[in-house]
Amino acid sequence: MSPTINRRQLLLGIVGAGGAVAGGLAQSAVAEDHPAHPVAPADAVSMLYDNTICTGCRACMTACSETNGLPPDTSAGMPLDTALTSGIWDIPADLNSKTKNIIKLYKDPDGTDFGFVKRQCMHCLDPACVTGCPFGALKKDTWGAVTWTSSLCIGCRYCEVACPFDVPKFEWDKWNPKIVKCEFCFDERLQQNKEPACTSVCPTGAVIFGKRADLLSRAKKRIADAPDKYFENRVYGEYEAGGTQVLYLSNVSFQKLGLPKLGATSLGHYATKVTSVIYKWLSGPVLMAGLLGAVIKRNWVRHEAERAEREKETGLRDQL
Amino acid sequence: MSAHDTTGTTLINHWQRGVPVYREPVVTPTQIFFAAFAALGLLMAVVRFFSPLARFSGMNDAFAWGIWKTFNVMTLTALGSGPLAIGIAAWVFNREKLHVVMRTALVSGFLFYSTGLIALGFDVGRAWNFYSVLFPWRWNVHSAMLEVSICMPVYCALFLGFENLPMVLERFYYTGSDATRERLQRWAPTVRRIYPFMITGAYILPLMHQSSLGGLLLLGGEKIDPIWQSPVLPLLYVIAAGVAGIGFVIFLLCMGCLRYARPLDLGILSEVGGLLSIVCFVFLAVRFGDLAWRGELGAAFRLDRMSFLFVIETALILAPAVVLRNRAARETPRTLLFMATLACLGGMFYRFVPSTMAFHPAARSIYFPSVPELLISVGYIALGVSAFSLAVKYFAVLPGEIGDWNYMFKLVRKRRAGSVRTS
Repeated sequence: MSPTINRRQLLLGIVGAGGAVAGGLAQSAVAEDHPAHPVAPADAVSMLYDNTICTGCRACMTACSETNGLPPDTSAGMPLDTALTSGIWDIPADLNSKTKNIIKLYKDPDGTDFGFVKRQCMHCLDPACVTGCPFGALKKDTWGAVTWTSSLCIGCRYCEVACPFDVPKFEWDKWNPKIVKCEFCFDERLQQNKEPACTSVCPTGAVIFGKRADLLSRAKKRIADAPDKYFENRVYGEYEAGGTQVLYLSNVSFQKLGLPKLGATSLGHYATKVTSVIYKWLSGPVLMAGLLGAVIKRNWVRHEAERAEREKETGLRDQL
Repeated sequence: MSAHDTTGTTLINHWQRGVPVYREPVVTPTQIFFAAFAALGLLMAVVRFFSPLARFSGMNDAFAWGIWKTFNVMTLTALGSGPLAIGIAAWVFNREKLHVVMRTALVSGFLFYSTGLIALGFDVGRAWNFYSVLFPWRWNVHSAMLEVSICMPVYCALFLGFENLPMVLERFYYTGSDATRERLQRWAPTVRRIYPFMITGAYILPLMHQSSLGGLLLLGGEKIDPIWQSPVLPLLYVIAAGVAGIGFVIFLLCMGCLRYARPLDLGILSEVGGLLSIVCFVFLAVRFGDLAWRGELGAAFRLDRMSFLFVIETALILAPAVVLRNRAARETPRTLLFMATLACLGGMFYRFVPSTMAFHPAARSIYFPSVPELLISVGYIALGVSAFSLAVKYFAVLPGEIGDWNYMFKLVRKRRAGSVRTS
């Protein structure tokens, strides 16, 4: 082959390169970072909470606060005798910056339907908080635990806006505020090959720890063994918001327990499906800049040509 | 027969170049009033930096974003998108007439953006960690928040700063020594050489981050009412920025000329008004197309609380869209100003509602800004207002007649001669 490239070869080369780029773009669109329905990796850790077994003893709450070094939480109000005894009461009203895990009891107004619920981070398969976090302070860590790194967090609180379960909390009363949420006891226990504090102390086995695939099949077996015992005969968290690593079985409506009704598509997928294509290698903005730039340049040249005339006519310097 | 013939007046080209407001004293009671508010707000913002957020705002875990983000940034940068919208019309679509109003747009845009960025700086809880922006390996490229937090400061400091530069250099040119004048003459070709490239960047960047501001809300998912939550949120956020941005340029031109007794150039205003009408129609087409596509038109007209907000928003944008199609209306200053104001409010409304009134977190919680929060927010706006009124006096911002420009120089020369004689 001759060392010089003729026009035909150049053209073919350009077309070929263009095709490769287009192919790469199409490929990346298929192997996307935020699939609509993420698949849990085999080592994904999980929690299964079955509120028909829970007795509401709140041992998990104490264990959680102890393990994570959380201060007493008086958000449900100070009992009247606090002033007399000068004691500290730990009575959390809900998840907040001092409470990462809570057991609540729901009752219907007529008292017929009731059920406990344990709330903590759901450790989504494709968490909205992680997708939104600008500098990766929140990340999907080993075994799928969603963890937070203080040195990367700018305190924008986008995670709070994004989380469909309203889980991340902010220390509004601190000068150096942190984002507080259940991190699956990642540093405290998981990394030492120990299960999280809450599951380790549960006396009845209402909340158990395991691999997600195992717990999901155990949950489904419980449903199969006792048809119509569980609400909608399904596991909450199997598909919600693309699937979560915390799974729920309940005898009452999930929504009554404060678990929102959500679609099966991951929020990260919904939020990035268009932009991930437009912003791939900044191709969209660069193409747009090329297009606008060409038109602007043409108009600019004309503007400059007319400028000389204008300046002569008025005797004044042109203003940009 | 066109309207200006029936009223017996002809359209006179009053706006020929930017002319400083030179007949007014620089410091006026109004100026002091706004500066005082700005100082109070900024002082409180600085104190807030050394104090927990809880004492300064009504924000909570359910409504984690307060008015500093939802109003000062999300809403007011839409008003500050005049440089984007008018700039594209002037430089891309070659609307030559509009060049003369660019400076008004540019100064106001710069002020909306810079005060918005100050608001962001004092809103975030851990601002000291923002240095991560310098390390690209820490960037989460999927995050709209990352896009906004890089793109907005760069646009404001680099591109809007550059676009406002000729106006500042011009003042130095006319007030400086001969040496300064000579140096500026030498720089002028460089500025003009990079100008077309810089304005290209100045349109790409806001297109990116104005859409990303809408993109932020996509992750809000089902917390945001279905009338607003939609895959086209980013697109509508850009178009709404056009609606509010163009509307605000008209508003500012009219108010500025009223305040400083300048004649209005109805030929130019009418052109901007026509543009506004087009952008309003585009907004409505995308808005209604999207609602129909997602099957939410029923919800939009159910006439409950959320639907009511939607109807207000639509009315605010539909009115200028329809009225400003009419040439006579566009050439009637009062109508034009009124319609431009409605467009501003409509665009702002669309940008404000999804993150506030149509934002429904699961936890039952209410948010209303606290008094310090409001004062700080108002302080940023007052800072913008007082900076703008200084800018129009120091720089050739507001458009005027060449005769006025020449008269100003005659006055300056006379004053200089006078001061020489007395000294």
